[in-house]
Amino acid sequence: MIKNVLWLSLITVALLSPFVGTAHLEYRDLLETGSLSQRIFLELRLPRVLLAFFVGGILALCGLLFQTLFRNALMTPFTLGVSGGAVLGAGVAIKLGLGLLLGISAVSLFGFLGALLTVILLITLSRYLKRAEQESLLLLGIALSFFYTSALMVIFYLSSFTETTTIMRFTMGSLSIVGFESVILLSVIAVSLLIVLYTKRFELQILAISDEQAALKGINTQRLTYFFLITASLAIGILVSLTGPIGFIGLIIPHMLRKLYQRAVDKLIFPVFILGGFFLLACDTLARYLSHSSEIPIGVITALIGGPFFIYLIISKQR
Amino acid sequence: MKVTKLYAAYADQSILEDINFELKSHLSILGANGSGKSTLAKALCGLLEYEGSIRLNGQELREIPAIERAKSIAYIPAKMQSYELFTTVEDFVLLGRYPYKQSFKDYSQDDKELVQTILNELNIAHLKQQALHQLSSGEQQLTLIAQALAQESKILIFDEPTANLDPKNTALFVKELQKLRQNHTTILITHDIQLASFFNDAVLFIQDKQAHYYKHDFFKTQTLKEAYGIDFTSSNGLIGVAYD
Repeated sequence: MIKNVLWLSLITVALLSPFVGTAHLEYRDLLETGSLSQRIFLELRLPRVLLAFFVGGILALCGLLFQTLFRNALMTPFTLGVSGGAVLGAGVAIKLGLGLLLGISAVSLFGFLGALLTVILLITLSRYLKRAEQESLLLLGIALSFFYTSALMVIFYLSSFTETTTIMRFTMGSLSIVGFESVILLSVIAVSLLIVLYTKRFELQILAISDEQAALKGINTQRLTYFFLITASLAIGILVSLTGPIGFIGLIIPHMLRKLYQRAVDKLIFPVFILGGFFLLACDTLARYLSHSSEIPIGVITALIGGPFFIYLIISKQR
Repeated sequence: MKVTKLYAAYADQSILEDINFELKSHLSILGANGSGKSTLAKALCGLLEYEGSIRLNGQELREIPAIERAKSIAYIPAKMQSYELFTTVEDFVLLGRYPYKQSFKDYSQDDKELVQTILNELNIAHLKQQALHQLSSGEQQLTLIAQALAQESKILIFDEPTANLDPKNTALFVKELQKLRQNHTTILITHDIQLASFFNDAVLFIQDKQAHYYKHDFFKTQTLKEAYGIDFTSSNGLIGVAYD
């Protein structure tokens, strides 16, 4: 029952989503080629709806992946500082005014490097932790996030007013885009991620039980874990460089689905992706519905929902 | 399996030194808490780096590819320890077939049929679709055994299998173990003297990082007293700790 209501309401919101926004659409003009309403619909609303869906899906999948690899519901790219690393990387690229490097957008490249370096740092530091101190990894992630925020402050301090505004807007997370370029890139990332996770679902299933079980069945657990972490940081790095950090999706969605469906990780890959997509789309629709003159950043909305949820998870000690 | 001059350490601390024995048939590994029994078990499964030599059919264990090793040795932990509690019994037992599975493919029909046969044999077929968190300790133990059997390994290592079982489940387990002993070589790690003496296999007693091998005659009150440093009593062939 709850499941049906949840899915039905999310799908309804998703269908209504392209019609919500500050600019008023003349519905009669929608089918008329070249009309303002149609251009707004096709060039602004539609790409944004698709972007929200793919971004939400990727964030939720990466959350599921991190939770599984670390076997802890609190471990997500966002809580471990991987998104923070990507933001700092992207911020540096914006500050330096870098355009293209080796034919790739410098902001994306730096975003990926920031995420990757954070993952490498976490792996290195976690080697000094005992198995029982897994929770300390979370503290390391939080410490890293603080460090990144401060480093970003230094960049603000060194920047001009316009640069500061650009970076500031970026750190709040935003889904406003024009055209389909980012949508295509993110759809490629989403599909690749789905393929990787689906083909490796049995390995993921064993890793979710324990490292020991995986090793006993002949899996090189270390190599596989690194492979997954690097794949996820690639996805997160590029995603964050395009949209800024959007928090808590990776935390909420996998947890919600586990509670609702009570299925193992290998059965949750597609549901997590789809629910993540719909959920962010719903949040974005809400953001656009509430906005009048200027837009409420999407990262703010997800954080307002996610923050209390995070606290609930810590208190209830759900694994 | 032949172990010579085996040294193993855990977190830079030497746990086992100069262990030598040959696994010809069933073996019981005994020793006090923290003596290094589980460390030895982990080394034998290839989960732990070691110095010295563990030879399996003449091949050095660390040089055997992990997948091949899994086909020869299965390890049954004392307790089901899983982060993922929503895995079903069937899926969990199927994981025993992982070493045989073709990459990128689902488990084959043969794998699924084998799992069904094993579940029937262990009388847990009715739990097939249950999730791990819905099982009792006894059922979890049987599920772990089922997974190890699905692995079709010749050597089965049981790590304190009865530690979490009530008397009835212990009796059930012993019955299953007796069947398994007919076509597997089992290594039984236990504190349960009654259980070990029932099987009366060769004993490897671990003490002060060293192993003492007893081909037979370990289960005598005098030998046990020397090994554990406490008194044991024996009546009607049953051996137990003599409580004051």
